Amino acid sequence: MMGSLVVLKSRTCIKHLCTSWVVNPLYLRPALACLPQQNIVHAVRFIINPHTQYYSTKGDEQAHGRVAKEKGFTPRTRPAFPNSVFTAGTARRTAEYMKKRAGVDTEELSNNTPSRGRGSVKVTLPDHPLTTSEWAKFKESSSKPDRFEMHMMEGLLAANADINIAKSLLAYVVQDKGTLSYELLLRYLTLCVTGGHHSEVFDTYDIMRTCFKTLDTGASSLFIKGFSQTERWREALEVLEGMKKALLPSPRNYSDAIAGAALHGDAGTSWMLYDELLELGLVPNQDTWQCLFQSGITQRGQEDKLFSVLSYMRDNQIYPEEPLIKTVKAWFESLPDQKWSGKFSFVVPSGECTNCKASLESIQLTEEEYAELKDKVMKKVIEGSDIFKKTTPEELKGFKSFVKQRPPFDIVIDGLNVANTTPKAAHSETLLAVVSELQQQGLNILVLGRKHMLQPSRNWDRQNMSKIKQKAHCFFTENISEDDPFLLYAALHSGVHCNFLSRDLMRDHKACLPDSATRRLFFKWQRGHQLVISHYVPGKRVRFQRISAYDTIVQTSGSSWHIPYDENRGDRATYEVPQKWLCLTQDH
Amino acid sequence: MMFLRSCSLAVRCSCFRKPRITIRPFSASWTARKNAAENALDLDVWKSVMRSQALQEESKSPNQSTLEANRELVEMWHQAGKFVPKNITDEQLEALTELTTKSAKKKYLKFLAIKESYKITKKEKQERRKSEREADGEFNREEPKNSFLLKIWSSSMDCLHSWRVAQAMRFGQPLVYDMSYNQHMSRREMENTVAQLMESEGWNRRAADPFHLHFCGLQPDSAYHRELLNRYGSHTWDQLLITATERSHVELFPQQDLVYLTADSQHVLHTFDHSKVYIIGAMVDRSIHSGVSLANAKRLKLATARLPLDEYLDWDCGAKNLTLDQMIRILSTRKDTGSWQKALEFVPKRKHGGFHQQSRGVTRTTKSRFIRNDSSEIHVPALVQSHRKNKTDGHKKQQEPKKWWEDRD
Repeated sequence: MMGSLVVLKSRTCIKHLCTSWVVNPLYLRPALACLPQQNIVHAVRFIINPHTQYYSTKGDEQAHGRVAKEKGFTPRTRPAFPNSVFTAGTARRTAEYMKKRAGVDTEELSNNTPSRGRGSVKVTLPDHPLTTSEWAKFKESSSKPDRFEMHMMEGLLAANADINIAKSLLAYVVQDKGTLSYELLLRYLTLCVTGGHHSEVFDTYDIMRTCFKTLDTGASSLFIKGFSQTERWREALEVLEGMKKALLPSPRNYSDAIAGAALHGDAGTSWMLYDELLELGLVPNQDTWQCLFQSGITQRGQEDKLFSVLSYMRDNQIYPEEPLIKTVKAWFESLPDQKWSGKFSFVVPSGECTNCKASLESIQLTEEEYAELKDKVMKKVIEGSDIFKKTTPEELKGFKSFVKQRPPFDIVIDGLNVANTTPKAAHSETLLAVVSELQQQGLNILVLGRKHMLQPSRNWDRQNMSKIKQKAHCFFTENISEDDPFLLYAALHSGVHCNFLSRDLMRDHKACLPDSATRRLFFKWQRGHQLVISHYVPGKRVRFQRISAYDTIVQTSGSSWHIPYDENRGDRATYEVPQKWLCLTQDH
Repeated sequence: MMFLRSCSLAVRCSCFRKPRITIRPFSASWTARKNAAENALDLDVWKSVMRSQALQEESKSPNQSTLEANRELVEMWHQAGKFVPKNITDEQLEALTELTTKSAKKKYLKFLAIKESYKITKKEKQERRKSEREADGEFNREEPKNSFLLKIWSSSMDCLHSWRVAQAMRFGQPLVYDMSYNQHMSRREMENTVAQLMESEGWNRRAADPFHLHFCGLQPDSAYHRELLNRYGSHTWDQLLITATERSHVELFPQQDLVYLTADSQHVLHTFDHSKVYIIGAMVDRSIHSGVSLANAKRLKLATARLPLDEYLDWDCGAKNLTLDQMIRILSTRKDTGSWQKALEFVPKRKHGGFHQQSRGVTRTTKSRFIRNDSSEIHVPALVQSHRKNKTDGHKKQQEPKKWWEDRD
């Protein structure tokens, strides 16, 4: 009941996250499954940066006690404690949990509806090649005679049937109609390529080349894929060249061509294609990298290029998936005279790798990055194309002078977001509790809100509001203005030590930024500076989730490499970062 | 046609799907092989047949233009069974070449294919109707009857409507369309906007008490203006009984009278004020520009309002912004009848699950009429007549009296 009430009010996904914590105390349990030795210390405090700040002081005894009491609430598969909202898999787990609470069994649903792909045509298929007359008879008995051969071919493709059956079908069609349609040949080609019948691919290629003016993208892609596995792989490059006339080839096409070159030991061509791919602004896929690293194992002399791949991943914040990371590990270990050894490991919240004990790169931005981000947020997020969309010029001016007149803040609070944390208390009470908790720690606080909060009502008590005003600086925007951009600006303006408190993931504001590099910068800053209330029950201590102290990105210190990777593809939402690492060190 | 030339000899001689084939140069050897195939299964027979059908002319120019390459791509996609148009004009091809990404091209081709299929079905329908009319033309010729009135032609209706709109231009309440969203719209959005504007104008003309329409901020030679001229034709456009002006609405009307209607507003339009000038933003937003019209109103410091959709309807799904023609029908119904329930009948039914149940309280009749899918009480004749009044749809007007007589007898 309570949960649904909050859901109704919520704007973004993170609010759903929080409701589950409100209801289910299991989520608060510091079950740091991965690092038992750190258990108590790290659950209690939050290491933010060199200036360590303690945001919560109460132990976990209460939480532990409640676990036993409310076991009935527990979902069967107990989710691990989410380190932060940015941890990979948190969003998916929460969504599943919410569904279970709502009484929908996700697995049952997915089982009952079988995937109806293109090939799942309900037809009876012959199990051996038929003669012409047998096919004719078969066609007469079928329910849909108009596109009979297409249905048959699709059925054969879906069933991964013997190629001779398909050939006999073609023989029948060519005798019945005198020719074959492009569409039918295309289906047949798909069958050949997926089945790996190389000589058939060659024959079909010759026929299609002579009978039709050009090839469409589908046929070209199939030929590239088919050819690259054979000794005629160079012809795949010609097909690729032909594709470029009308359309940009896809990363998949390049991936196949690169795999063809790498498979046949022509590393030069594969790197040339890779460079071309990057030049076109396409993002290489994981298979491309995997076959490049694979060829690096067998063929020396590509080290520089492969290291540049790793730095490409770093620059674009791409994380390898599991098959790729295994190949990367194997490649490092195969390097002669360097004695690399790789281990899959974790990183503890303070930013230390559990394997090599080295500390990882800090999440703090450099000064230039910080200045750039501040500038971009001001120009793109707040002002944007039309300043009236989010605020008014007068209001912005007032806010700027307000911020300037006050000393830098330590923490900026999104008042409305925080006030909505729990439905159990009036909004102003929740906000007051959070503000006093932070004030006791001697922080300089800014509370952002809207003017309607000053109107006394059931939720906004006048006394509470005046207490808040005593404890913190407050700024109230117009009711139709957006408060989040002001929050971002105030936090950025105060300097690197300033954090902000909100459950909002700020995805819409991130989307306002002009390019992906700035968006990554924003995300890095956000991970390092966003505090989230993990748990709040009226009358109890406010608890916050930890801010990570290290950056999750491919990184090296010369003698070691740390590469985060995706353990399970599709488990991670776009605003989350992986938790697993590959730690590579050199033995001396 | 290019398409035909590209295909085999067989296609050139006969139709694609026809089973029987006409004479071809290699037919003798082919039939011989056919007989052989009956006995022993020759799996590769199709290869030799297809090879013999190779393109005769080897006119593959190496340096063909991108335009040609695109045309060939569309052709091959059509042959591969993708949803693309069969015929594409040079203009469309140029628009296609200008698009940079693959998904944009596919989307545009899908749009063209849908358009083409509509055209074909329409033509088929027309032909079917024509042949039907010819078939029973002889029987249906009506004898001239004695009649009290001459037949009311559409021109006489036009005359009446024009009179009413002319009255509105002198004494009617103004309604403003704000035409300042040029830069926010793509070409297709602009076309949709103008289509909706035309429809709104049409609804207004047929209303019992029309508004005095103002197209404000309409710059000459802007995309709006060009598209309007293109659709109406310059002659009709000049004769249209509306006020189209370059000047903005704040120049024409006192600021305190203006109310900007926008779905993002915080204020609800509870009562329709006959002395106010309502402004509707002439914009179709297929992407995600939120708060554009609210920003406009804020800049000019105008009062804003939104329709009381949530107050009256159980909103289901879909955006709260309505099309321009729906807006004018809602406003003019509200103006004429004073009832939001009647006015909000024009909100698309797919977007909501009916009116709030509180409206049950008033009287029995209103209840039955406005709760969705409840037509059980419409048999009462008096009800039907009042029901009819609301319907502005021409077809229904003609059908319903018939049904009423049937039901009664």
